[in-house]
Amino acid sequence: MEFDLENPLTNSHELYFDTVSSLFLTEPDHMPSLKYLKTLKDVDFDVSSRRETISLILRVSCNVDPFLSYLAVNYLDRFLSSQEMLEPKPWVLRLLAVSCVSLAAKMRKAEFCLSDIQGDGGLVFDTHTIQRMEVLILDTLKWRMRSITPFSFIPFFISLFKYKDPPSRQALKAQAMEIILKAQNDVELLEFRPSVIAASALLSACQALFPLQFSCFRKAIFNCSYVNKEKMLQCYHGMQNIPLEGYGSLMIDLVSSSDTPVNVLDGQFSSSGSEKMDGTITSTTSSHGGGSSSTTTSWPPEMRDLKKRKMSGSCNNAMPQLSQMHAATSVLMRD
Amino acid sequence: MEKYEKLEKVGEGTYGKVYKAKDKATGQVVALKKTRLEMDEEGVPPTALREVSLLQMLSQSLYIVRLLCVEHVDSSLSSAAAASSVATDTNPKPHHHHHNNNNNNNKSNLYLVFEYLDTDLKKFIDSHRKGPNPRPLPPALIQSFLFQLCKGVAHCHSHGVLHRDLKPQNLLLDQDKGILKIADLGLGRAFTVPLKSYTHEIVTLWYRAPEVLLGSSHYSTAVDMWSVGCIFAEMVRRQALFPGDSEFQQLLHIFRLLGTPTEKDWPGVTSLRDWHVYPQWEPQNLARAVPALGPDGVDLLSKMLKYDPAERISAKGAMDHPYFDSLDKSQF
Repeated sequence: MEFDLENPLTNSHELYFDTVSSLFLTEPDHMPSLKYLKTLKDVDFDVSSRRETISLILRVSCNVDPFLSYLAVNYLDRFLSSQEMLEPKPWVLRLLAVSCVSLAAKMRKAEFCLSDIQGDGGLVFDTHTIQRMEVLILDTLKWRMRSITPFSFIPFFISLFKYKDPPSRQALKAQAMEIILKAQNDVELLEFRPSVIAASALLSACQALFPLQFSCFRKAIFNCSYVNKEKMLQCYHGMQNIPLEGYGSLMIDLVSSSDTPVNVLDGQFSSSGSEKMDGTITSTTSSHGGGSSSTTTSWPPEMRDLKKRKMSGSCNNAMPQLSQMHAATSVLMRD
Repeated sequence: MEKYEKLEKVGEGTYGKVYKAKDKATGQVVALKKTRLEMDEEGVPPTALREVSLLQMLSQSLYIVRLLCVEHVDSSLSSAAAASSVATDTNPKPHHHHHNNNNNNNKSNLYLVFEYLDTDLKKFIDSHRKGPNPRPLPPALIQSFLFQLCKGVAHCHSHGVLHRDLKPQNLLLDQDKGILKIADLGLGRAFTVPLKSYTHEIVTLWYRAPEVLLGSSHYSTAVDMWSVGCIFAEMVRRQALFPGDSEFQQLLHIFRLLGTPTEKDWPGVTSLRDWHVYPQWEPQNLARAVPALGPDGVDLLSKMLKYDPAERISAKGAMDHPYFDSLDKSQF
């Protein structure tokens, strides 16, 4: 059964009361640690490594499935938050990005193979190296790979929205999903629980699309006993700085409705972007399997010998990579 | 796996060996379930990844045996190391290691580390049937265990997971706290089943739903509720309700008590793959099979043992049944 981010717990589309409460109960297990968030805010280097790795994730996942990249970034954040980042080498970050995407693709049952993921013209790792990194990530995340994300809470919060007609709800959902995807890049918003992000994103979307419904919807959400109002307001205000562009058209497709207004994304959020990541989001349009040729990253000399070494099964070949792998893990895990 | 000291083999589960072991650092006693992982060209197998993570999520319920952690042992690493030592060795044993090299990515074990409980419902029922002090299970305990069982099953079902093999041996007991936990959740397709357990373990049919015995191609959550009904009756009787020793005998046991099903009781039954012509039995009075059980209990049992899977009570429905009215549900 593939992992559906909007419905992490159940197969059925019924919304059980006790599964909703278990979502709220377990969401903290699927978040990066506070210490990690603090380091991200204080140390410029870490922010830029994170940004670099996220753009790698978006590049290797070819942007085909925003949920897939979202999940991979969730794995990345949770992994990094339990490791000491000591200026990891670019190739380590790439290995991490490739492995997170590989794991996310398997959870999503995406039609992907490692050669697709690595088909972007960058450094290619052999299967065994990726497998070991996957296992390291799995161990670190305690195999909790069915992440509870803000998307998991959308069905619950949207059920509190007054308009029941599908087109309105789809428009609201599309806008909120775009905000959620954007919010993942904003280090300031990482501290909020997935449910708080979801509720704030829906409120922001409501403000833009159905301003007359805003206070009613806010009241309904505030009445929900699981929600911390103060945190939600903080998060909501933080979200007003998110520039909305880029993902929009994808989200509309995802929510899939011909009734969704085209101008859904031209809301009040189109302020000029400051947190924009280094161009990768917009420049790599879905070139699935094509391999974009515009790789500009220059690899440090010690990595050039690893470049393009495809999985060969030969042991002589595997050995140096194992030791590289150990180097990578000891850089990441300082314990 | 040096973290754990294996104490004894406690079983051969459907999917591999189970050991009782001790965490050397903390002294905690755990159950280690060893399964083989077939690593392929694509790294960690997707099915294993999805199923273990599902198990990880399900085990957050109090009524499911807790998965404490997952340990991955990559034996290809040690074979690679062995191979490198062979390379420098003047007297290598080439065949053996050469073979390992070719299977570099194939050998890998996954240890699922579960909390350890030393009693299961089968042992518990046995201790009340035979031994120095045979006595019935206290009715309040049966009620409490059945409620916890329904709660655990409801948890699995609401997460889209069928257990498929509920039986007293798979229900572990924390006797001090009076807690029942479901174990051995089906890790269906992900793991290679060791051949040994295929041949050595006798798979019990006693709790198997009639639609499974009759070869229905798609079955659902109702199969688990049938098993719950059989377990309920067994707690009351202290012996199995339908102790068949072949699929055919199993069906006859069921039909003798509940009557041979007809198209009227169960639309479609005669078109099931393994349907044959059976002796025509009339339904017996179910209460006579469970004499110690009151009318509410018998009513709940009859709803769990409905022939038509669509009519069989759900786990959630069972939790609301009047049989549990006298139970203080707030403690669960």
